[in-house]
Amino acid sequence: MGHTATEQHAADGRENAAAGPRVTEHRLANGLRVVLSEDRQTPVAAVCLWYDVGSRHEVPGRTGLAHLFEHLMFQGSAQVPGNGHFELVQSAGGSLNGTTSFERTNYFETMPAHELELALWLEADRMGTLLTALDEESMENQRDVVKNERRQRYDNVPYGTAFERLTAMVYPEGHPYHHTPIGSMADLDAASLEDARAFFRTYYAPGNAVLSVVGDLDTERTLGWIEKYFGSIPAHDGKQPPRDGTLPDITGGDQRQVLVEDVPARALLAAYRLPHDGTRAADAADLALTVLGGGESSRLYNRLVRRDGTAVTAGFGMMRLAGAPSFAWLDVKTSGDAEIPAIEAAVAEELDRFAAEGPTPEEMERAQAQLEREWLDRLSTVAGRADEFCRYAVLFGDPKLALTAVDRILEVTAEEVREIAAARLRTDNRAALVYEPSGGTDGEAAEDEDDVKEQQQ
Amino acid sequence: MTDASSPAMELHPRPTGGEPVPWAFPAPERTDLPNGLKLLRVNRPGQQVIAVEVCVPVPLTAEPEGLEGVAALMVRALSEGTEQHSAEEFAAELERCGATLDAHADHAAIRVSLEVPASRLERGMELLADALRAPAFADAEVERLVRNRLDEIPHELANPARRAAMALSAELFPADSRMSRPRQGSEESVARINPAAVRDFYAAQVRPTGSSVVIVGDFAGVDLDAVVERTLGRWRGEAAAPAVVLPVTADDTGRVVIVDRPGSVQTQVLIGRVGPDRHDMVWPAQLLGVYCLGGTLTSRLDRVLREEKGYTYGMRAFAQVLRSSSAGDGAAMLAISGSVATDVTGPAMADLWQVLRTLAESGLTDDERDVAVRNLVGVAPLRFETAASVASTIADQVDQQLPDDFQAKLYARLAETGTVEATAAAVNAFPVDRLVTVLVGDAGQIAGPLKELGIGEVTVVTA
Repeated sequence: MGHTATEQHAADGRENAAAGPRVTEHRLANGLRVVLSEDRQTPVAAVCLWYDVGSRHEVPGRTGLAHLFEHLMFQGSAQVPGNGHFELVQSAGGSLNGTTSFERTNYFETMPAHELELALWLEADRMGTLLTALDEESMENQRDVVKNERRQRYDNVPYGTAFERLTAMVYPEGHPYHHTPIGSMADLDAASLEDARAFFRTYYAPGNAVLSVVGDLDTERTLGWIEKYFGSIPAHDGKQPPRDGTLPDITGGDQRQVLVEDVPARALLAAYRLPHDGTRAADAADLALTVLGGGESSRLYNRLVRRDGTAVTAGFGMMRLAGAPSFAWLDVKTSGDAEIPAIEAAVAEELDRFAAEGPTPEEMERAQAQLEREWLDRLSTVAGRADEFCRYAVLFGDPKLALTAVDRILEVTAEEVREIAAARLRTDNRAALVYEPSGGTDGEAAEDEDDVKEQQQ
Repeated sequence: MTDASSPAMELHPRPTGGEPVPWAFPAPERTDLPNGLKLLRVNRPGQQVIAVEVCVPVPLTAEPEGLEGVAALMVRALSEGTEQHSAEEFAAELERCGATLDAHADHAAIRVSLEVPASRLERGMELLADALRAPAFADAEVERLVRNRLDEIPHELANPARRAAMALSAELFPADSRMSRPRQGSEESVARINPAAVRDFYAAQVRPTGSSVVIVGDFAGVDLDAVVERTLGRWRGEAAAPAVVLPVTADDTGRVVIVDRPGSVQTQVLIGRVGPDRHDMVWPAQLLGVYCLGGTLTSRLDRVLREEKGYTYGMRAFAQVLRSSSAGDGAAMLAISGSVATDVTGPAMADLWQVLRTLAESGLTDDERDVAVRNLVGVAPLRFETAASVASTIADQVDQQLPDDFQAKLYARLAETGTVEATAAAVNAFPVDRLVTVLVGDAGQIAGPLKELGIGEVTVVTA
């Protein structure tokens, strides 16, 4: 069948699970990697396909192309007319979508188990023949849809462009992660049909993808379908590696922008460079951020929201990245008349104290329980498991690492958590945005400035 | 336009599906506890995060006049300290067992939801029970929650979708109806809430008698009856006096309200009226018809507004139950929602109305109806994969006074519903002259084009 197989029975990271799921790995002759996992508890099966291409592969002047292209993947292929991909999956009782991040583009269908073969046929058809259907009309239409997605999610909501601004501060000009996957309006306007075709020819190759199927399936029969539908897709290898994402551990300066915009309250948003995903230090950082700013027993929530009463929300988030430093994200919205200097002083005090003393044993226990719960949630659906298998296969070369992720988090020590906080959550590794409400009059001026800035990039 | 540079793949005909595996929405097993609480349980092997939903039949109409928001504030305060733990300790204890606890007060009922890994179920249930039976309601914590709530309101008003929802409720329902006002209260009413009001509301309303608890998940190795007895079994209290519930009335005279938001790059669209709930025989037909109109991006609205014109990222039609009872006096909000680019707001609304007119004139096709049935029935096993999704649907059945097998029987009813009934239900749900349209956007740019459309009187209000 033109593939090699390895097999392992592994613990699935879930408590009380008597036996772990059966996971097998295979590779077709054209380079497509396949991960299969049987779980017969519910008559559903999830198909997930990760292409190893994201916004980090985009070139200057074409930001947003990977995401725009993801939309074009739903516009038909040789045997699938127009919106047929959506229509066929939904009328088979399935659900589906695709998403684009810095590092990858994923496509997924969750199907009633007896319709699994259809999802495989559909994914193979567009991997092999998308360009026979791609035309100017789809391109123009989806360009407008994506521009409306950008408006809806970023441009028309208060603080909506904060993430984009912080990203640009943490990853310098010219770095592959300097811009976010949504891209700029100017670049979305500039993308051509030929850009899209070239993007497909370069990145949408079987050897640049991982297919995982999880759920109520028969491994041999599923593998037969995969070989039948994907096996004849020609291998091609035009992909260039993404630009180097290497950066110093810290940004080396306290960057700061003050924005006067039509927002409902003052806010302090900040970002910090963190270790790459897949490292023990990244897990330690995740725990540090959870103790400091995850949930309603965290240090920042207790300090700013409960005790000082200066904030209505206060917390940390983490975006794990494998090809560049990960990203910590602080979000504080002020309460009443509280001012930013008081917030900044309190945050600095909490970070300094944490860097000196580290987490208490109780805080470690709580943070580990919270992260363990996040994993249980992710693994509670076949689609969640399929996505994690793809993630570990694409980014770290081994899908089964998904099954031991919780164990790795539980192994991290309090001292490691303190160390990473001391090394990274510091002002010389910080990019901060301070929002001051304009009272509704300066909103348009701020947006105009933003347009100018985008054009300069 | 074949890509001639590479050899073509071998194409195969589209596969036809195999035999469906029988699947049914689970039937909950019922037990009456000595304290008056009703227990509904569903064992779902493999679901390691257990979902617990407590339904307390307290509608928002139970709030004292002028104290709108006290129910929402009270349910938030349940998890801000108990007789055992301070607010900070309680949050820490929950997180120590990987649990999350959420509480909401809606028009129909209060809902307190716990999700907890199976290995720590009993500890999670203890905390849930403590929150319900022995909340501390310390002055300082309640006063902080009032300040937090007042801080949140400007954020909600600045969010176009939330702003539109508030404006539609205010427009649709009579001023003296609780439904016309925000579920969590207004700035004026929240400012009046004090700790005594919260304690009084709790004391008058939150009782095990008449309440229900739904528990779903993998019960392997768990003696659920014993766990419930040791936790929620300790909750005591006689039945509360039932709240007065009035029939839902709404004025759906066709009109347009523009909430001015100068500089908006998009217009938030929310079009709504009130219609049948799940007790009405038309519900399955309405579900089908509304799905055909705006359930997904291949439905009629997005086929034009998104996939043909590119005006929007997505426009959805849906029915959301507001309040429901076995007496049949409930209602659902029927709505169309999405956002369109500012400069095409007029043309987008013209197209939207044309979609509705075409639907009324020519009806749905058999093919559209078939696809909708196959989707709505087929996705059930996917939709109810997690314990939380099963628990919340059963809890909705409890709140809406539906039989325990409502969802299970719905799929057969959908399959029996024809194209004609689905068309009639969709047309009746969205009659072109009986729709209240709220647009949150730049009035200076959109008011003119909207007046030209003739879909009702246009009023502009400042945000």
